[in-house]
Amino acid sequence: MIQDYLILSIILFCIGIIGVVSRRNVLVIFMSIELMLNAANLAFIAFSRFHQSMDGHVLAMMVMAVAAAEAALALAVVILLHKHKSKLDTNVFSLLKG
Amino acid sequence: MEHTVNYLGLIPLFPLIGALVLGILHMCTCTKSPLSEKLYGILACIGPLLSFVLALVVFFQLKSMPADSRFLTHDAFTWFSVGDLNITMGFLADPLSSLMLLFVTLIGSLIHIYSVGYMAGDENFGKFFSYMNLFLGSMLILVLGSGPVVMFVGWEGVGLCSYLLISFYSKDTANVLAGNKAFIVNRIGDLGFVLGMSFLFWAIGSGGFDYLSLRENAHLLTPGIGLVVCLLLFVGACGKSAQIPLFVWLPDAMAGPTPVSALIHAATMVTAGVYMVARFSFIYAHVPLAGSIVAWTGILTALLAAIFAMFQRDIKKILAYSTVSQLGYMFAGVGVAAYSAGIFHVFTHAFFKALLFLGAGAVIYALHHEQDVWKMGGLKEKMPKTYWTMLIGALALAGCPPFSGFFSKDEILFSTLATGHTGIWAVGVAVAGMTAYYSFRMIFLVFHGPPRNKEGFDHAKDAPAVMTIPLIILAVGALFAGFLNLPSLFGGGLNVSKWLAPSLIDHHPHVGISVELLAIGASVVAFAIGITMAYKKFGQGAVEPKYSGFAEFCYNKFYIDELYHNILVRPYKGFGSIIWKSLEPNVTDIHVKIASWLYQKAGTAFKVFQVGYVRVYAIYMVIGLSIMSLLLSQSLN
Amino acid sequence: MFAEWLFTGFSILSVLGAIGLVVFRHPMNGAMSLVITLISLAGLYALLSAKLIFAIQLIVYAGAIMSLILFIIMFLNVQNEDLPEEKDRFLYMIGGGVVLAPVFFFLKRVVQSLPGTESTIVGNGFGGVKEVGLVLFRDWLLPFEIVSILLLVALVGAVVIAGKRRMGK
Repeated sequence: MIQDYLILSIILFCIGIIGVVSRRNVLVIFMSIELMLNAANLAFIAFSRFHQSMDGHVLAMMVMAVAAAEAALALAVVILLHKHKSKLDTNVFSLLKG
Repeated sequence: MEHTVNYLGLIPLFPLIGALVLGILHMCTCTKSPLSEKLYGILACIGPLLSFVLALVVFFQLKSMPADSRFLTHDAFTWFSVGDLNITMGFLADPLSSLMLLFVTLIGSLIHIYSVGYMAGDENFGKFFSYMNLFLGSMLILVLGSGPVVMFVGWEGVGLCSYLLISFYSKDTANVLAGNKAFIVNRIGDLGFVLGMSFLFWAIGSGGFDYLSLRENAHLLTPGIGLVVCLLLFVGACGKSAQIPLFVWLPDAMAGPTPVSALIHAATMVTAGVYMVARFSFIYAHVPLAGSIVAWTGILTALLAAIFAMFQRDIKKILAYSTVSQLGYMFAGVGVAAYSAGIFHVFTHAFFKALLFLGAGAVIYALHHEQDVWKMGGLKEKMPKTYWTMLIGALALAGCPPFSGFFSKDEILFSTLATGHTGIWAVGVAVAGMTAYYSFRMIFLVFHGPPRNKEGFDHAKDAPAVMTIPLIILAVGALFAGFLNLPSLFGGGLNVSKWLAPSLIDHHPHVGISVELLAIGASVVAFAIGITMAYKKFGQGAVEPKYSGFAEFCYNKFYIDELYHNILVRPYKGFGSIIWKSLEPNVTDIHVKIASWLYQKAGTAFKVFQVGYVRVYAIYMVIGLSIMSLLLSQSLN
Repeated sequence: MFAEWLFTGFSILSVLGAIGLVVFRHPMNGAMSLVITLISLAGLYALLSAKLIFAIQLIVYAGAIMSLILFIIMFLNVQNEDLPEEKDRFLYMIGGGVVLAPVFFFLKRVVQSLPGTESTIVGNGFGGVKEVGLVLFRDWLLPFEIVSILLLVALVGAVVIAGKRRMGK
């Protein structure tokens, strides 16, 4: 029932967090974030189905729109970073280190 | 009530306002465009003169009142009120304080006028008069105070002004050190005063802590507490009036300008101690032992100071030791319960000592700040006005009849003899002889004989009128003030004693005329011997002798200053240095140091977490999320 | 029955795709795995009677966003030597798993404490374009407009950030 969909959503979300935490490649980090957003979307749709309300669908669409915008901007930043150092390693960009 | 008047508070207020105005004017203009000295001078003299006029008004109003309720009060405002202690800023004008008022304001005004001439050309002209007005205001608060606490306000104020004015020429460190010495020694006395006041309050203060109430309750004092109170208050008087062992500041205080020495350290501030003992006569009269201690301390101080004065070379130091000696006489007077005699000597001493100081100032001014008597001489023709007025002053000081000093000193000596203190009387007569000796030594060395310093002598001339007119007025006072208190032997009515009677609990012994004649005779003989010896040694011009043996010991003032320095000052400084070098860094500062060390260590420890990578910070967030969910799942149970 | 098999299949596919995304070294491989995940998620939406979302997921997410990502990967010409040396990524993954275990179990407990609802039969129109549109343009009009502004901002931002340097700079 709804619990199954929600547990699947939780699993996908945790895998997404693991991806953010453990990889150093910028693009992989970004894609893990997209994975997390999708997990949230799944949860929305599942709840909406089981409460017979359309709000979940609408919210899922909003999330998708935001994800699209974020994808555009994040990839623009990735391009810039690559132009600077021609490396995709987050450890290389260490200006914050005091 | 008929006893309440509103203008008493104005008497100290006028000089205080003057001090404020002068101070602000000086501070605002001294660096850019100094104001004219005439303006400062006029502003400065207005306050004291107005106070003098009001003092006359007070005097005449008191005269018109019947003798048994002769006092005026003015309670300005309540200062604070804690439990039984209700202190109002009140003023009391009774015969004693009105007499003090009269001569304090008169001599204060004269010295202000004199200073306009003496301090001319000084860059801190305005500051000087601000301080002088502040001093006069504080002294008037002291004199007019209606209770010990208000008197203490004035007491502290005059101490402060003494310090400010002694170190007036602050560019020279020695002057500042002299000011420090005066203030610190004064402070030691003040401790005694405060302790005495506290004991007094503890014993009989619950019925009101002003003089009128204390006088009514004085019979409740047990003899033990009474003795303690009297002695502690006397310690305060020793500090303020330079008695043994706290007299060491007065000769050093001569580092200040001469008008300051005249006003503060001759005529007014140093007499505050005597005034205080007279004020508390209702306590001292019940404790004869305290009176004896006061009298003996006074007369021994008189002896010691007279010995020092006989050997000094600085003209102001001669007069300073002379002041200490005369103050000793005053304490001898009030000690044997002859309070009006002591106050009368305060009154006459103010006139002739201020006169002598101002005259010395004129001499110093004329010789361009030369103060060594062994470099003066023969100024009699060059400065006649100064010479004649100083001669009158010296004759009064030495106790030559019919000058004022003779009558007042004689009254004191007669009282000591009549109450049976023969030892004090004998020492007093000896000191009278020494007084005549050193005062005429000074006169002969400065004004008679051949000049010892040719070029100084050539440029010397009499001071301008603004300085000589006060000298003349004071000389008139020194001449005739004695007649205000002529004893009945000479046909007088002891008017001053009668005037002061309601304020004091005098002890008038009834002895025969022979005792009085003996006292007068002894005084006159002592004076004659002293002046003859001075004339023989210095009258025809003398050269500076080489002191050796006992004379050298006296010339160095018995090395008392060095003794105090080695016994008191150096250990104290050493103690302070120990605290500074080892106690403070290791005991008091250690906690601060430990705290800062801990912070540094903790900061270094936490620095490990501050890597520069944002990804690591995201990991921290995840860890936080995990911990939070752990806690929440606990609460779900 | 059939729906349950479909659900199981789609779930396994999406989890495998997610794991692949995290494990593969080259981002291109990871992107492909993510596409598999997205498509199986679309299947799951369909199982949940979300017709419009199913379609939009396929078109927008798996179609537009992933092709954008793949385009960027290929544009950047990522070679093997550009990739970071991630020797200890498995360590981190295991560590992350350990740290996230409490979160997972907590959320599982929360989810399982929800009242178990039987899947009710929904009407024909549930999840269709008309229904979503009605709700969108009635109750959620303001967020809709704001999202459109957001998209505009993102567009402008992307142009500014990645655009050519101006003349004379």
